[in-house]
Order: sequence, then C-alpha cells, then structure tokens
Amino acid sequence: MKILILGAGAVGGYWGARLTQAGIDTTFLLREKRAELVRRNGLVVKSPKGDFTVPVKVVTKGEEGGPYDVVILACKGYDLDSAMDSIAPAVGPDTTIVPMLNGHAHFATLDARFGAARVAGGLARISGMLGPNGEILHSGASGVSFGERDGKPPRKALVELDAACKKAGIDGGLNLDINQDLWDKWVMLGTIASMCAAMRGTVGDIVAAEDGAALMRETLEECCRVAAAAGHAPSDKVRSGIETGLTQPGGKAVASILGDMEKGGAVEARSIVGDMLMRARKAGLPAPNLRFAYAHLQAYEARRARSGLK
Amino acid sequence: MKTLILGAGSIGGYVGGRLQQSGADVTFLVRAPRRERLERDGLVIKSTKGDITQKVKTVLGGAEGGPYDVVLLTCKAYDLESAIEAIAPAVGASTTVVPLLNGMRHIDILAARFGDAKVVGGLARVGVAMSPEGVILHTSPFAAISFGERDGKPARPALVELDAAIKKSGIDGGLHKNIVQDLWDKWIMLCSLAAMSCLMRGTVGDILEAGEGQAIMLETVEECRKVAASAGGDPGEKGMQNVGGYLTQRGSRFAASMLHDLEKGSMVEADHVVGDMIERARRAGIATPNLRMAYAHLQVYLARRARGGIGKPAM
Repeated sequence: MKILILGAGAVGGYWGARLTQAGIDTTFLLREKRAELVRRNGLVVKSPKGDFTVPVKVVTKGEEGGPYDVVILACKGYDLDSAMDSIAPAVGPDTTIVPMLNGHAHFATLDARFGAARVAGGLARISGMLGPNGEILHSGASGVSFGERDGKPPRKALVELDAACKKAGIDGGLNLDINQDLWDKWVMLGTIASMCAAMRGTVGDIVAAEDGAALMRETLEECCRVAAAAGHAPSDKVRSGIETGLTQPGGKAVASILGDMEKGGAVEARSIVGDMLMRARKAGLPAPNLRFAYAHLQAYEARRARSGLK
Repeated sequence: MKTLILGAGSIGGYVGGRLQQSGADVTFLVRAPRRERLERDGLVIKSTKGDITQKVKTVLGGAEGGPYDVVLLTCKAYDLESAIEAIAPAVGASTTVVPLLNGMRHIDILAARFGDAKVVGGLARVGVAMSPEGVILHTSPFAAISFGERDGKPARPALVELDAAIKKSGIDGGLHKNIVQDLWDKWIMLCSLAAMSCLMRGTVGDILEAGEGQAIMLETVEECRKVAASAGGDPGEKGMQNVGGYLTQRGSRFAASMLHDLEKGSMVEADHVVGDMIERARRAGIATPNLRMAYAHLQVYLARRARGGIGKPAM
C-alpha cells in the first residue's frame, strides 16, 4: 500500500514519521520550503514516547510518485482549497482520501471535488505543534480514527491503513462508527475552542471565573444539541468525559486555537465554531455562547487583517 | 478655596495642573516616589491644548497643609480603599469630596465613610495617559469634568467656587444640575464599550466586522440602559442615540482603555465598571447575558494574571 500525506505538521508529520519508521511506504506532499527542510533534516520528532529522526520520502507535486492508495489530508481548514488542488493529481480511480480536518464542513467540499465514494471519514487525536526549527513537538495523545462514512464494511485500503497504524504504534485506527467519532470530537473541540478563544485562557483560568464552569457547560450543551439534531448526540459517557475535562479546576488544557491567536496566526474559526453555530441556527437551536465566540474570532480576524494585533 | 487632589496620575495631574496654571490653590497628595519626581521635574503636561511644565505643591499625608475645601479623588476603583485612608485626615467638617471615578459603587462607599452630605457626584471625560517618565499625555481633543449635588438641590458654595475655577482653567464642563444622570450616561457608555472591547479584544471597528458584532454591541448598550432605567437614570432616546452612534461607527479605532490595560497585563476595573452593573441588574431582575460573558472574560484575565500567565504562551 502506498500512502501520500499532505502536510508534515503535528498531525501529518507525527503519523507519517511513525508509519515510515515501521516500514510503511509513505510519501509526504509538501510546499517547497518545508520540503527542502524535511529532505535535509528528515522528520525530527520529540515525543514523550521517545525522540527520533527519520528520513522520509518527499514530493512537491501530486503527480510525483503515484498512484497512491490512500491520500491523508492533514491540513488546516482554511487551507483546504489549496490542499485539494495539490492532491488532485495524486487522486486516481482507486485512491481513498482520508481527511483529518476538524469539523464537518470540509466533507461537502471534498465530495463535490472528488466524489463522495473516494472520501472516507477521519480525525486525529494527536497533540503537538511545530518547533522553531520545524521539528515536531509531540505532547501527548497519538491516536487517529478513520472509517467509512456510510457505515458499510470498510474498503481494503482502510483495512490496510488500520494494519499499518497498528504496526506503527499509532492508537485507534479503523472505526466502524466514524461519524459518531467525528461528532464527539467536534463537540469537544467546539466547546473548548469557543471558550478558550472567547475567554483567552486555559480551562483552569476559565473555571476560576464565577460563571466560568457554567459557561463551559452551557457551551457544551449547545454543541451537544447541534450533534443531536444531526442524529449524533454523544453518549452520556462521552459527554460526561468531556464535561469533566473542561471543568477541571486548575486544568491546563487549552485549545490550540488560542495558541494560534496569541501568535497572531490564522484560525479555524469557521470550521470549528462558525459552522457549529450555523447548524444550530438551521436547526432552530439557541447557541448564545457560540455566537459570542464566533464574533470574538471574527473580530480577531478583522484586527489581524488590518495588522492591528500589536 | 483650597483643593487637594489625590494622585497626580493622568486625570488628577491634568485637572490639577490646569487649575493651578489658572491660579487656583492646588495641592497634590502623592506617594514618595511621585513627589520626588514632581519636585525634580515639576508637573509636565503634553497636551493638545498646550504643553506646560510647572512647580506644584505636594504632600505625602492628608494631615498636611489642610484644611481643604475640596478633595478631588482621581484614583482607580481598585485603589479606592487605600485612597480613602489617604484622604481621611484631609476631610474636615466642611470639606467636600468630589470623586472622579468611573461607575457608581464608590459613591456609596465614600458616603458610608465620610457621611452622605460630604460626598458629591463627579466624573471626568479626559482622554489622557501617563508616560513611564511621569509625563501627563493629553492626546484627545476634549477635556471635561462634571460634578454636582447628588440630590439635585442648589450647589453648595464649594462647588460653585470649583465651577468658577474650572471655567477659568479652560477645562470644559463644570457644575452639572443632574450629575446622577450624567454619571449614568457615562457609565452606560463606558460599561458597554469596556465590556465589548475586552470580550472581543478589538476596537469598535473590529467588533463591527464580525457578522453579529453590531447586534451584540447594541444588545449590550440596552442591557446597561435597562439597569440605569431601573434606578431612574434612563438616558432617554437622545442619550441612547449618542451612545449607539459612537459604538456602531464602521472602521472606528475607538476602544476602551481597559483593553489597553488587558494587553499590557495591568490591573483592570472589572468589578467596578462591569461587575457592579451586573449586580444592579440582578437586584432589579434584569437579564444581562452579554455583560455576564464580558465579566467572565475579565475574571478569566485576572485569574490568568494572578498565576503569572499573561504574556506567556497559553500552550
């Protein structure tokens, strides 16, 4: 099986480095600058599970090195359009695309471009970021989840990808109810990203405010209702797990979107928060906290656009 | 008339400096480092209305140089307790205390401490800051203060004299016949602006770029108006148009100074400006969801500040 990974950030880079290390035929599709660095240094991973450096195959055009059985999309939501253009030449009749983006909005875009049959569901639970020298600073979870969106038995490519992940020591893998898992993750992320962004603090900072835990629970409720309207309410167990994590006094947990904001970077405002709010609207559900959070993110983007962040 | 000004910071320094320049008898009650600097450099004002450097009278304790007819209080709300202790020895039987703080809660606290009759209403509208070197930087085209009897009765002689001194100094405003309404008008404006600038971390223009930015802004003003109305301080249609116009100006670079404080990692008047508005709403049974969100944001900021987490990456 041949795998192409678009992006060598925390998610794509960590996953692909592990796959390569395990002897799986993996190629990275990267922009010129990143490609040059990775070709020179290999992928440098600093991880609680052990540091390692591994040379990897790199291409800068989707035409090179194919055909691929699986194309993993590990870009940010706001880069989806250019990512699709990049992978298009690598997508043949038998290629399966596994997007690892947050939220749900990208599916409609990918389906329209490549056909729904080629697009599987996927998500990452890999925490980390890129270091100043392009190294991957992996900080904890290292799981992925993917599967057929229609719930049918998985195609061969996904079964093989699952075996490759297990061999590479990546947690998770094939999920028979990927839609539910996508919603579970989005509910969690929609809540923590909204609150960390709008409040500009960690879970612990938020919970220290008088109404902080209440606001967190309300926001979780707003997201759960949107998921329920789509037929994917999280189970009680999943929900209470999220709630416990996000109302932990002194909790250090924080959404990466806040890190992006504090660096003045681009944010996945629309795919994580905006789209959740739009779905609430369409379903006639109240979502006052998501509304504040999305306005906060839009005001941030406006200020960033006028170079007013300093 | 002898006037004591607590603090020679931005507002106290500007108002006191202009009063003295026009011949009023002004003394500044300051801490030792500020006194040292004032004695060395004088009080330096850089202003759109003309720069000035002058020697000023300073005291370190309220017991010195009195008795005073008027004590002008220009501290931040979070310094109110220590300010009260500092001015207490300067407040005699016929002293009038004129606080120029934001909000209203301090008035009850001052009245409880010094007696209702000694405390009048007052506020400042001066766009002014202090440089790290202690220079008063007055950058806005306006500089006004407003004060008056809270019960609406004819002004006592001290206020009439203060009014004359203010007019002579070139500062706008002065004696106000309905200072309580003026206090509400200013608080509605300030609370709305501070709540939104901080919650959204942007200027009025940035906030209006968000899809629902304008709606959220106007809802917030309405929350404040309802609180004012429940206390008899409804600004009326014209007052509301004023505030609404200011806060819905596309492209406006207007932002609350509280936002600058947040971004510098400084202390903020969260409880006084936003928290107290919510408290009054609660007592009057008024819902204030926007203020609640903004107040939570400010409390999160203070929690993060308290653990030394401002200016360091959140992750």
